[in-house]
Amino acid sequence: MRERIGALLDEARAALDGADTPQSLEALRVQYLGKKGPLSALLRGLGQLSAAERPEAGKWINAARVEMESAFAAREAGVKKAARALALAGETLDVTEPREDYPLGLLHPISTILDELVDLFSGMGYEVVEGPEVEYDLYNFELLNQPRHHPARDAQDTFYIEDNIVLRSHTSPVQARTMLSRKPPIRIISAGRCYRADEADATHSPVFHQIEGLYIDKGVSMSDLKGTLEAFARRVYGPEVNVRFRPSFFPFTEPSAEVDLTCPACKGAGGCRVCKGTGWVEVLGCGMVNPKVLELCGIDSAVYSGFAFGMGLERLAMQRFGIPDMRWLFEGDARMLGAGRGGSAQTEGRRGE
Amino acid sequence: MRLPLSWIKEYAGIPVPPDVYRDKMVMAGNGVEGYEELGAGISGVVVGRIEAVRKHPNSSHLMVTTVDVGGDVIQVVTGAPNITEASVGAYVPVAKSGATLPGGHAGGDNSSPIRIRPGKLRGEVSDGMLCSGAELGVPDSLYPGAGVDGILIFNEPHQPGSDVKPILGIDDTVFDFEVLANRPDCLSVWGIARESAAVLGTSFAKPEISARESAGPVTDYASVTVLDYGLCPRYVACAIDNARVAPSPMWMRKALRGAGVRPINNIVDITNYVMLETGHPMHAFDLDRARDRKIVVRRANPGETLTTLDGKERTLTDAMLVIADAENATGLAGIMGGEESEITESTKTILFECAAFDRTGIRLTSRALGMRTEASARFEKGVSPYTAGEAMRRARQLVNLLDAGDVAQGMIDIYPDPKPRPVIEADCGRMRSAMGVDVPDVEMARILRSLGFAVEQGGGKLRVVPPEFRQDVDQEADLTEEALRLHGYLTLKSTLPVGAGMPGQRSPRMRLTDALKGLLRAWGGFEIYGSSFIRPAVLGWLNLNEGDPRLSPLALRNYLGEDTSIMRPTLVPAMLTALALNQNRKLDGCLLFETAAAFETVVDGKPRGEGELPFERQTLCVGGYGAGFDFYKIRGITRSLLANRGILCRVEAGADSYYHPGRSARLVAADGAVIARLGEVHPDVAERFEVGGRAYLAEIDLGAVLERQAAISRINEPPRHPAVTRDVALVMDDSVQLGPVADMMERSSGLVESVRLFDVYRGAQVGKGRKSAAFALTFRSPERTLTDAEVNPLLESLLAKLADNFGAALRV
Repeated sequence: MRERIGALLDEARAALDGADTPQSLEALRVQYLGKKGPLSALLRGLGQLSAAERPEAGKWINAARVEMESAFAAREAGVKKAARALALAGETLDVTEPREDYPLGLLHPISTILDELVDLFSGMGYEVVEGPEVEYDLYNFELLNQPRHHPARDAQDTFYIEDNIVLRSHTSPVQARTMLSRKPPIRIISAGRCYRADEADATHSPVFHQIEGLYIDKGVSMSDLKGTLEAFARRVYGPEVNVRFRPSFFPFTEPSAEVDLTCPACKGAGGCRVCKGTGWVEVLGCGMVNPKVLELCGIDSAVYSGFAFGMGLERLAMQRFGIPDMRWLFEGDARMLGAGRGGSAQTEGRRGE
Repeated sequence: MRLPLSWIKEYAGIPVPPDVYRDKMVMAGNGVEGYEELGAGISGVVVGRIEAVRKHPNSSHLMVTTVDVGGDVIQVVTGAPNITEASVGAYVPVAKSGATLPGGHAGGDNSSPIRIRPGKLRGEVSDGMLCSGAELGVPDSLYPGAGVDGILIFNEPHQPGSDVKPILGIDDTVFDFEVLANRPDCLSVWGIARESAAVLGTSFAKPEISARESAGPVTDYASVTVLDYGLCPRYVACAIDNARVAPSPMWMRKALRGAGVRPINNIVDITNYVMLETGHPMHAFDLDRARDRKIVVRRANPGETLTTLDGKERTLTDAMLVIADAENATGLAGIMGGEESEITESTKTILFECAAFDRTGIRLTSRALGMRTEASARFEKGVSPYTAGEAMRRARQLVNLLDAGDVAQGMIDIYPDPKPRPVIEADCGRMRSAMGVDVPDVEMARILRSLGFAVEQGGGKLRVVPPEFRQDVDQEADLTEEALRLHGYLTLKSTLPVGAGMPGQRSPRMRLTDALKGLLRAWGGFEIYGSSFIRPAVLGWLNLNEGDPRLSPLALRNYLGEDTSIMRPTLVPAMLTALALNQNRKLDGCLLFETAAAFETVVDGKPRGEGELPFERQTLCVGGYGAGFDFYKIRGITRSLLANRGILCRVEAGADSYYHPGRSARLVAADGAVIARLGEVHPDVAERFEVGGRAYLAEIDLGAVLERQAAISRINEPPRHPAVTRDVALVMDDSVQLGPVADMMERSSGLVESVRLFDVYRGAQVGKGRKSAAFALTFRSPERTLTDAEVNPLLESLLAKLADNFGAALRV
């Protein structure tokens, strides 16, 4: 009996080894494990054995069934795996085949820069405030310590609509409006379009964009201004950038400074065209808010002090993205932003370069 | 402003090389555009005395000279037309063998120097080169006679072998200063010298000023009356008799040339020299031409005419100040003298004028007449009345020095109302706190004194009187700047404000546009920035109806040209221009967007009045063209943008006249406000903008969105029960709008979850002028599983309503 069962198992194993499709496997299952199979026949034949032999033989037969079922299960898994592998192999695609990517647009370079700066300054607690582009002379000039016939007004060559209405020549009128309507502490930035009577060329545009910051509180110092702008410069230009304050003049700040940064082209080594050999590039103007401006805007200059800074976004965008001509920014050519096959916007390292 | 370094050094020690000087001045706020070393590239050029001249044996135009160059006598061949046998004894500049000259003639400064080598010219030895003025970069105005066609011949003997550079005035360095608008006092040698001394820690000393008066009392020569003290707060005059008009000496010509001023004659040169040295403009005129020798400073009579020094006749108004004699205007105060009273060789009696004129008055007159002179520019920037007397005394001293005439006794000085100097009480602690730098009280006082301020220091306070030439200092903050800029901006620390923390945030408009721009970008949109200006003609391309307020846009008063003459009342032209540009540059299709203000002249329903700001309508304009772009795409983009802000709009047909009349729509909010207009561009308009094919636009009113947008406020439980779907195809007239049909389906029962149009068929099977629209309706209840018995009656009553309202019949 034991020998017969052993031979049967060997036979079934040998047959299983040759089965490589689900169909042949199923046929063998019927052949060996079906009701008409040899194990079932052996079970049926138990009655012919003696009562002493019967339990033992029953155990053998059941054990053989369990063993055979597990052999079937193992083989079935193997066959299924092979069949799946075969099917997958048949579905192989050319993963390098050129196809259209999902359409992806881009923000304008100025928006990209602005977004970055707003992130930085809002993280430092500045709130974005907006104001009109067509402004009263009062806010654009007078409250900022530039009374009528002030020579600094000339330099800005402002566009006028009427005697008292101008196209704002900087975003500072927003500061004046804010100082008049809020109480310190004030910590705001304003950004947007400004206008100056410059003919459009590679480095000028009658329409341009500025971002300005204003901080007013008790005990604000020029060193605080420097620390703030250093944080800005290192975020935008990298941690190795140095910041230099140089004395300057603006009617709305006193003391005033021009801010120079390490030249991004020569890294401060000098002798390059971008910085005209000085190793520094001028990026923004700033200073302590002139107490006269605070007073004009209803803030007690004996109690409060503050600083303000402002910069042109075009210049930042041109430096950042290597744009040589300011007119590109206002042309509306989608390829500049990367559209189509002629798209020229490029990520560093893209195309494996 | 250009100034020769040698002139500055007369009054201040500058013991450092030019590049160090430049850097230190720049870091103290005295901008330097650059500096130029005159005579750069010239070396080894010496004075030579011509000992002999003979004709070149092998040339008809060359001469062979023998020249004493100090110690050596050399032979030099020249082809210059002014060297002949008669030139023996002349002193000339000689570039000896090994000398260098600037590359290129006329002092070319960008090419490398040329080295002179010994050689032979047609067989005759030539051991150097005789030089022309042009070869040495010396014009006639710097050295009279330098402009001659040929070799420069010195006007006087010099030691042979000595360097020609000091003789010709090309041994100097000229600095170009960029003076800040608040420092007109630095538009002068004294101003710069004073700053230099303070910056470098050396001392500044003005010259001792005195004059020998050898003519009669000034009042015998002229009388002065000022009729408008507002426009002329101070007028100082002095007279010169027996004027000896002649060229100025070399040192003065050299100084003027270095400052970029052309020397003319000693009298005019003195006025320019004083202006450059002191910063105070002066004028000299022929006193014999002044009727009755009367000088009247008055406003011009309306229509009065004056021929100015440039030979032009000017018609004046009573807003302009003139210098007049007993009868007529003889000069335009502070701007330009009159032709009639010009100094000439024959002038005998001269009046020197050194006045202070009101800067605004000068500015307005200069603008009105289109005249800008060195004097007017200085008066506009602000000339201190205090300095006029000193400037005049310096002029008188120079007349003595140049022996240009006899100085009359005394000066006329009309100065009725000198303003008292401000006294500034400053708190050193507060100044330090504003700097964030520890500058001791005594150091602040020292710095201020070095700049000419009178300072009393003690008890943590400063009591300061600014010097007369400083008109920009009247408060503590101004002193803080002075102290800090000389202590050094480089000493500023980097700290962050320690004030109360405040929440930083974007503005609501920015958050809105960020969201919309993010979506558009993800859908393949590119952002453009259009100009805020527009050419008036372009507005005419939009098919706008007569009376449309956009046809009366906001106009600029002082525009640069047509392109910047008005503010755009709509973003559409910029968008169409950009679409055309991209088409033209062969981009098959694109989606563009811009957010900006459109400037409207109707404010709150009324035309903008004088003195009122326009309405700035913040707008998002979207435009596109290309394969797959159609009306429904632009509508879909627009509606999805609004849906993102929680605004659901109904669609109404028709929009502005620049859209296709049958393919345009307005999106209307529940309260009836039009939130967006969109559609296909009218072909006439597209044609004018040179947009080919079909293009699509949408304009979204961001202000309207901001007022209505709603954030998601509640999340409902997702449906648990199965839905029942029914597809229905309805046949109706083609003119029936499907939007309202779908709306009716949606509103027919609370159990309708969604309605989706999945097919529209027009053709023979439904008949001409008819269409079949197939909708998939989904019914669902949040509470239970719906049965056919519930849904069927709903559908039947809906079909009946659709038949009644739209003539729609179930397609069979």
